[in-house]
This record gives sequence, structure tokens and C-alpha cells, in this order.
Amino acid sequence: MIVAEQKPLEEIRRMIDPYARVLILGCGTCMTVCGAGGEREVSFLHAALRVAQAKGGDRAHDISEYTVKRQCDLEFLDVLADRVQETDVILSLGCGVGVQVIAERFPDTPVLPGINTSFMGAASEWGIWDERCAACGDCRLDETAGICPITRCTKGILNGPCAGPKNGKCEANKDVDCAWILIYRRLERLGQLEKMRRYYPPRNFRTIPRPRRIVTRVKREPGESNGQVAV
Amino acid sequence: MYPPNADTLKRPSFDDSLVPPCQAACPLHMEIREYVDLIAQGRVMEALQVIRDGNPFPSICAYVCTHPCEDACRRSEVDKPIAIRALKRFAVEFGGDRMISLEASTAHPEKVAIVGSGPAGLAAAYYLRKLGYPVTIFEAHSELGGMLRVGIPKYRLPREVLEAEVQRLIQMGVEIRTNTRVVSLDLLFEMGYKAIFITVGAHQSLRLGIEGEESPGVVDGGTFLREVNLGLRPSVGPRVAVVGGGNVAIDAARTALRLGAKEVKILYRRSRAEMPADPAEVEQALEEGVEILFLVTPVKIAREDQHLRVTCVRLTLGEPDASGRRRPVPLEGSEFDMQFETLVSAIGQAPYIPDDFRLRIGKGSTIQVDPLTLLTNRAGVFAGGDAVTGPATVTEALAAGRRAAHRIDDYLQHRYPLLGKDAKESSIGDLLPRTAQTVKKKTRQEPPVLPPEERTKDFRPVELIYRWETATDEARRCLRCGAGAEILFQDKCATCLTCLRVCPYHVPYVDASGTIQIPADQCQACGICVAECPAKAIVLRKPYDRRQVSEELDHALRSAAQSKSKPLIVGFCCQYGLFGSGTLAALWRRAQAGIWIVPVLCIAKLEDEHLLRALEMGAEGVFIAGCGDQCARENTAFWVAQRVEKVRKVMAQLGLQPERLQVLQLHANDEDPLKPMDEFTQQIARLYLDSTIKQEVKS
Repeated sequence: MIVAEQKPLEEIRRMIDPYARVLILGCGTCMTVCGAGGEREVSFLHAALRVAQAKGGDRAHDISEYTVKRQCDLEFLDVLADRVQETDVILSLGCGVGVQVIAERFPDTPVLPGINTSFMGAASEWGIWDERCAACGDCRLDETAGICPITRCTKGILNGPCAGPKNGKCEANKDVDCAWILIYRRLERLGQLEKMRRYYPPRNFRTIPRPRRIVTRVKREPGESNGQVAV
Repeated sequence: MYPPNADTLKRPSFDDSLVPPCQAACPLHMEIREYVDLIAQGRVMEALQVIRDGNPFPSICAYVCTHPCEDACRRSEVDKPIAIRALKRFAVEFGGDRMISLEASTAHPEKVAIVGSGPAGLAAAYYLRKLGYPVTIFEAHSELGGMLRVGIPKYRLPREVLEAEVQRLIQMGVEIRTNTRVVSLDLLFEMGYKAIFITVGAHQSLRLGIEGEESPGVVDGGTFLREVNLGLRPSVGPRVAVVGGGNVAIDAARTALRLGAKEVKILYRRSRAEMPADPAEVEQALEEGVEILFLVTPVKIAREDQHLRVTCVRLTLGEPDASGRRRPVPLEGSEFDMQFETLVSAIGQAPYIPDDFRLRIGKGSTIQVDPLTLLTNRAGVFAGGDAVTGPATVTEALAAGRRAAHRIDDYLQHRYPLLGKDAKESSIGDLLPRTAQTVKKKTRQEPPVLPPEERTKDFRPVELIYRWETATDEARRCLRCGAGAEILFQDKCATCLTCLRVCPYHVPYVDASGTIQIPADQCQACGICVAECPAKAIVLRKPYDRRQVSEELDHALRSAAQSKSKPLIVGFCCQYGLFGSGTLAALWRRAQAGIWIVPVLCIAKLEDEHLLRALEMGAEGVFIAGCGDQCARENTAFWVAQRVEKVRKVMAQLGLQPERLQVLQLHANDEDPLKPMDEFTQQIARLYLDSTIKQEVKS
């Protein structure tokens, strides 16, 4: 799942400063789960901005709030049409995807990112998030016992461990487990230690042509089927 | 459309149909959970209001109720049940029950006669009068109350209490005819009564059926207690035997002690486990020096000179009988003699119904009635209480009286009886072990009692009243079954698992379909998940808990705005425990100007937004004061710290000093709770002065 954190309040205050009417828009999916932009954070930010007006001397904004199910799908945004008419700027608490889809859906209204989209990861316990996937598009987890060296090794090396780990921890950060020690232990447990003997050639580091697109349907041209997305 | 808004979608309504086990067990179905919670908050008058809504004579129940609610209480799966009856007594005494006066006006012409003035009769009179019927009570004895008057000893129910309730009935316009024994129901109908409620109780003592039972010095329990309670002082010898194991036997034994008996022995034919008397009463009797001989029964009584020679036999327990208790079997050759001056037989009582009533009599000489309508075989004649059930409890009799009143109302108004209204089943199951284990253990607080050597001197009430602090502390032990959290907005729920991860009691779980469930019968209503849910999809079932903080805050801020005192300080204080005991108000009164206190039902329910809102509305300082070690819950401080840190981060970015938001310790154990508050006030005053001077300099 996508994990993010809210931008510092100062940055948000600077961003919205030129606008009189601000709509804070939450996202009910990933940003709710990671606690960065769900309904609670929307109203917390709203309250914080009002304190900023009362105590920090910010200009008076007319702030409203709303949370949609998912910002990254245009259909969920239709319900916003009237609200967007009433605002000068949308402060999105969606991930980078959400911000852009909103920009597409409402071409005449500026949209500001309220959060920094950080990584794809998982909660290890309440309030603690760890990165797990880099979306490299070339998954090797079968060879590394389900532990990703690209994201979890500080150096991202494919033939580890390096000479650095001490007591199972990374030389760059004593609080972080060495991914390759973890891989070794798990391969040992699975009886697949021979995988450690293999040499993995370098990955293809050629720049990935962006933006990437995945097409799962037969008719290739957009607009030729019911799958059309109306903008 | 997401999220559902009020204009387009019907708001989901939360489920408050869950009946807690205590309420289901109570014959009157009183809202026990509600009034216990109000007591925990120190809102005793409101608690009494709730009690009065469900019980016609709370002051009587506060003394003598056998509290089936406590037997059903799920707290016993954690440690011990809540002391519900003692808490009710506290609410009645401190809530000003004596000041309450009742009025009723007559709305119907049909007169109703009530035969017998025991709890069932009094309750029926109360409710019929409230429904607007002219009511007459016929009582054979010289005073009202039935068993409450003639059966229950004064040390368990002081007569002023009964008198006060009777006076209230008279105030309501109930006509009283004492010393009037009803011999014929036809006569009552001829007198113009349209409906009759027979509630003559079970005053006829059962006989031992042994040789010598007629000897002088042998008396039955009912007669013995009646004589004492009506003001006679029957002479008892120095050695008294009481035969039986019920409450009457215990009452007779303790009464004999108070009349001056030196040695009182109870002879009971089964063992302690089978004894039907209230265990607490048995305990108190033992403390007072009553001796109980188990598995012993008299077989012959012989009068000799000045005493009785009682031949007893020892017994052993055999197969269970029809009542499910093991049948006592005599041991051959185990006869032995004992000497007493007085023997009280208290082996049970049955109603006595005159034949002229022409009522159908069933098992145990009781009146046969339709269990739902309480109607007898004669039109317009209803019956209830011990006369129908055989000897039972006061609360059951009150419930029967209430039901009779409603059924008589239906009958007189030619309505099909509205049944099922007073039937309440609890749908709440047992606590799961993992939940029961995580609930903080708290010792049950018993109300103080007079020392045994004091209380056997006279008929003063044995049990005293809780102190205010003890009562609020005891009430806080309530688990609030069925009032817990609920995912009200399922469509908002992102299944983020926050509730599952933050719950101190391991209540929420993910079902096989991947949906998160918060089982209502396990939730402890601490409110942590409500305050943490990132989608704001969870609410507490009790509407009061849901709105409280924001409403109280708005109220405080409005009042503060009017007062214009500077600097403004907002304090969120726990309403339970110490603060609930009235100290909160006292604290506020004595505090320096500018402090506005927002009562919170546990600071774990306080959300970060509330703190920000206080700052936004002009608070120069905000403090949170929990109840500290007294807290009935785990982890409260951890969650408060989380939210305080989050808000301090915002404050730092706005140039507000973090010390403007503080968690204060104002516990009961502290010497003076005012001290940390005053220090905080002074600190905020300095900061306020600084910033004002800086602004002046700038401009």
C-alpha cells in the first residue's frame, strides 16, 4: 500500500497563502490506512490551519473539507463538482496519483499536494511504517526468499551481503536489519541455501521509459470501448 | 456516492438494542448500566432520576433487593460483580430521594381495589394512580407494607423508609383502608370497583409436621417476625433454635439475638451450598454469633419444665429432588437431644386465600393466573406477588405490581394487552477470556457495616452508606456491556486495522470475508478506537459519550467569551472518579480566574482536534488532567501523550511554546490538586504578558 506523510504545516501555510477559499480533500483509501490523509487528518489539518489564523497571524482563509473514497479514480470525483466551484484551490491529501487525477478532472482549479508520497510499504505495528517495494518492475523475490534486497538493503545490492553487516545489522544504520542476512536465514529455513551460491547478474539499469502504461484490454485505442474515461 | 450525506442518504442509525445482562436479570428491567455510569460521574441526582423511572420504590429496593443483577454481572468474569444494590442505596441517599414528592390526577372514572398492601399492591397502586385511576388499598393489618412491614426486620429496612414511600402514595391520592380484611370480592364489585388486584402475600407458615409442634415455646417464623415488627416484644428464652435455611430463618435468628437471646442455633437439613438465604445475610448472621447446624433436622419436641427438649437427627444428602437440590436422607441411629427455651420454625410459607374469593387455587395454595395478563378465573380479578408465586423477592413483587397495573389498564380500556413491552432478554454473551484477562482488576468496594457487637444491641440498620469517593470508584468498575464502539459508517471504513491495533482489550477482529468486526458484547467502551479511527467511522453506542467533549467544549468556550477574562485557560478534566466526586467543581471554584474546565468521560476520549479547537478559540493555555492511578482502564496516559505530541508539533510550527499544552497530575493522592493548576496558570500568565509586551513593542 502507498505510504505517505503530511507536509510540514509551514509549507502548507505558504502554499495556500495566495488563495482565499481552500478545499481540503482527503482520500478514503491508502491515505486513510496510513493515517496521512483520511477524514481525521483532514479535519485535524483544518483545525490546525484555523489555529494558524487565530494565533499565527495567517490571512483569513475560507476553509472547507471533504473526503472521497479514492482520489485516483475520476468517477469518485464527480461528487466534488459543486464544491470545486466554491473554492479557489484544492489542497489534496491524496498521494501523488490523487493530486494528478484531480488536476485532470478539474482543469480550471489549482491543486496543491498536502502530503509527501513516500513509499510502498506495510505497517509493522500501530504507527510504524516500513518500505517494502520499489516498484522496479522486475520482481526477483522468488530468488531472495520473499525479502526484497532492492528496498531493504541500504545499498540495494543483488549479491549480498556486503562485508559490512555486524550482528545482523546494516553498517550504514545499526537499527536496520541487514536484508541479506535476513535472506540467508530464511533460505536456510526453507532449505534453499543453494540459491545463495548463484550469481545474479546486474539488473537492467537502463532508464525506464516513463510514463509506464499497462494495457490489459484488447482494443488498444482509448475511447473505443466502454472503458472510456470521460474527462 | 461517498460519503453518504444527510441530504441524499438516510443516516445509518446505531444499534442500541443490546440489553446488558444486569438489566435483563432485573425483574423490573431497570437501566442499571445508565445509573451506575451516572454515579461514576458523580451525577447522583440524575442517577436517582433514572432509578425512579424504572422502580416505584427505589429506597426500599436499595435496602432489601436480592440483586439478581449482581449475579448476572459480567464483571464477575474479571474479578467480582459491581455492588449495584449498595450503589443504588448511595444514589437514593445522596440524590435527595426524600425531597421528591409525587402528584397524580384522576383521568378515569373506573375505581380499582387492591387487596393487600405488600410491595406488589403498593407498586400496582403507584402505577395505576400514575395512569389516572382512583385506587383503594385494603389492608388487614393496622399498617401498610405487607411483608415489608411484618416480615422484614427493621435492621434491614428502617420503617421511616417504608413510611416515606407510603406517604408519597397518599400524596398521590391513593385511598388507604387499614384494619380492613376483605372477605368477599363480590362485595367489592358491589361497592363500584371495576377491577380488583389480589396481592395478599404468603403469610401462612408451613408446619414441621412433627410430634410436640404445638408445645408452648414453639412458634412459626411468620408469626414471630410479625409480632416483633408490629411492635410487640415476644419473650424469647436464652436459647433459641430456628429451623429452616431461608431468609426468614436468618431474619428470625438475628431478630432473636436482638431480643436478647444468648444462644441462637439454626437447624438446617441441607448444607451451606443449598441454603436459599442470601449469602451476605448468612455471613452477617454468623458474624453476630448465630450458629448454624447443617444436615440436622428436629424429629420430636418435648416440653420439660422450663425448656424444650428437641430430638434431632443427622442427615446426609442423597439424590436431587424435584427442586434440583439434593434430598436429605436421615442417618440411622444419629438421634441426639438439645435443649432450647424457644423454637422458631421457618421452613416456608404459603398464601392463604379465603374460599369466598372463589378463585382457582393451584400448587402450594397459590392463586392460578394467566402468566401474561395476571388475570384469574374471575373477570376483572387480577392477582400477583407471593400469593401467586409463593414466597419470592420484593423486586419480583414490584414487577408483578407494575405488570398488573398495566394489564388492569388494558382491561379497563378494553384494549388488547400490549404484551412483550416489559420482556427484555439479554443478547450479550460471556466475555472472551482474552478480553476478561486484559480488563484492569479493581477490588469491589463493599459498603461499611456496623460492627457485630454494636448491631445486635438494637434494630438499627446494619449496613451504612458509601462515602462519595468509594461510591464513584465502585461505579467506575462497570464494564458498560453493550454500550461500546460500533463501526457506524461501514462505507467509510478502509479496513486499516487501526481499531484492532489500538484496542487494549483485543476486541476487534477481521472476519473471514476481510471485514473488521467490533463485537458489541466484548467492547469495553473505552473510546480509544473512536478517537484514533483515521476514517472517523466508529462511534460509541451511547449517544451521550459520542457528543460530550465537543459540546462541553463549545459550552465552555461560549461562557469564556462572555466573561472576557484574560488569559483564557482551558482544562480538560476527567469527569470520573475523584473529579466526579464534586471535587471538580470545587477545584474550579477555587482556581484562579480564567480557567474553564471541560469535563471529559475519560481523557482517552479526548481527540487532538479538541485541543486545537481550544487554542483556536483563544485559549492561551490548555491542560489535560486525568484521574491517574484511579483510572479503571489501561493505557490512558499513552494515548493522551500521543495526541499531545501531535498537537505540540503543530504548535511549534506556529511559534507557540509547547508548555502551553500540558498534562497535569491532579490525583487524589496529591496533597493539593490546586497547586499544579496554579503553577500552570502563572506560567501561562507570564507567557501571555511576554507576548503582549512583544506585540506592543512591535507596534
